[in-house]
Amino acid sequence: MSMEILEPTTAAATQVIAYVPRPAALAGKRVALIENTKFNSDKLLGRIGDILKTEYGIADWKMYRKHNASVPAHQEIIEAIKTSADVVVAGIGD
Amino acid sequence: MPATLTSKRYKVDDAAGAIDLCFEKGWTDGLPVVPPTEPAVRAMLDAARLAPDAQIAYIRDRAMAVTAEKVAINAVMAGCKPEYMPVVVAAVEGIGDPRWGYHGPGTSTGGAAVLLIVNGSITRELDVNAGDNLFGPGWRANLTIGRALRLVMRNVCGSMPGLLDRGTVGHPGKLSYVIAENEAESPWTPLSVERGFRPEQSTVTVMAAEGPHQFYNQLSSTAEGILTTLADNMRVSGNVMGQPHYALVLAGEHMRTIAADGWDKKRIRQFVWENTQNSHAHLKRTNRMTGTIEPGDEQKMRPLVASPDDILVVAAGGRAGAFSCFIPGWSSAKSSAAITVEVRRGSPVEGRR
Repeated sequence: MSMEILEPTTAAATQVIAYVPRPAALAGKRVALIENTKFNSDKLLGRIGDILKTEYGIADWKMYRKHNASVPAHQEIIEAIKTSADVVVAGIGD
Repeated sequence: MPATLTSKRYKVDDAAGAIDLCFEKGWTDGLPVVPPTEPAVRAMLDAARLAPDAQIAYIRDRAMAVTAEKVAINAVMAGCKPEYMPVVVAAVEGIGDPRWGYHGPGTSTGGAAVLLIVNGSITRELDVNAGDNLFGPGWRANLTIGRALRLVMRNVCGSMPGLLDRGTVGHPGKLSYVIAENEAESPWTPLSVERGFRPEQSTVTVMAAEGPHQFYNQLSSTAEGILTTLADNMRVSGNVMGQPHYALVLAGEHMRTIAADGWDKKRIRQFVWENTQNSHAHLKRTNRMTGTIEPGDEQKMRPLVASPDDILVVAAGGRAGAFSCFIPGWSSAKSSAAITVEVRRGSPVEGRR
């Protein structure tokens, strides 16, 4: 006997995210590093920051720490980065 | 005129065809599902007195609304009876609470399931098991309510294994993980009342959780004796460092012995908290805490649980047998809080702690 069933899934709402254009070069840029509190994430990002400084000539880097690994960067981080950074490197995962 | 159901529809030849289609589309947890037809979905919505477009939860980090219609469809698929729907709805509300932090347990390599503890008269109305084989097979309410929640997480919130859900090993509770507190035989205050609800309210408590760890003590005739064994098993469990919630599920023989000694849940929590602390030296020796062992580290202690209040004590399990269990939570209690929600019929308004 034929029947009709209903779809159980929900498609995620499409969001348009406008990215700032990628800079042509990193020289002189201010870099924000966002570590996710996982072990060694600060050390790894710090080394990336140092490489960006020595090899790519960024102006400087500043580290920010999220509240925990499972949430987005909190609003204070966002507000600080908006006015003080040109490029962001964020750590995710384990 | 009943509100229209807006979900896409698929025509199939018969029930077997519907089951196959659901497998092909990736809508199942690996087991066959009950075909979600419109009459079955409407019966779910009617039992909970919910309009199809009622928003049960908003999962912030997925930017996704979970509607009553979608919960009802997944509840039918799970094999729920319509009268189970209010419990499923309460559970979805719970995991949608920002304090539960969906994006953590819903995606983590830590592989947490959702432990669902039901309290109140609803447990008797729906025959939610609080006794023998507590975490095992046999009870439709327990198995299908938990399954419905996981199907919502998979099909609506997107926690698909290998995609958003990156649990490294996971555990069987991710199929279904529902128990009731044995309020009829428990000498203690129900979990729901401890968490701020009235005895006449039925509630669901959701806690991100690893699997149950059984422990055995058939020697002791005192509360301290039994809980010393529990604490010894529990002290090195979970990820040891995170300080999540823990649930203690104390079954019949242990429950009666502990209560006969005059211990209430508060005293149980305090004792277990005090006796599940690890020295910094041990944590460093066993590669859980970073750094070299320093003078004083043998005496410096780290509690397994940040506060005794983070321990949920539940009286449940069979009458016979000297086994109870503890259940580590996920990550930390700050990253994912246990949430208790009232089971209601009608639109979600308040009733959450």
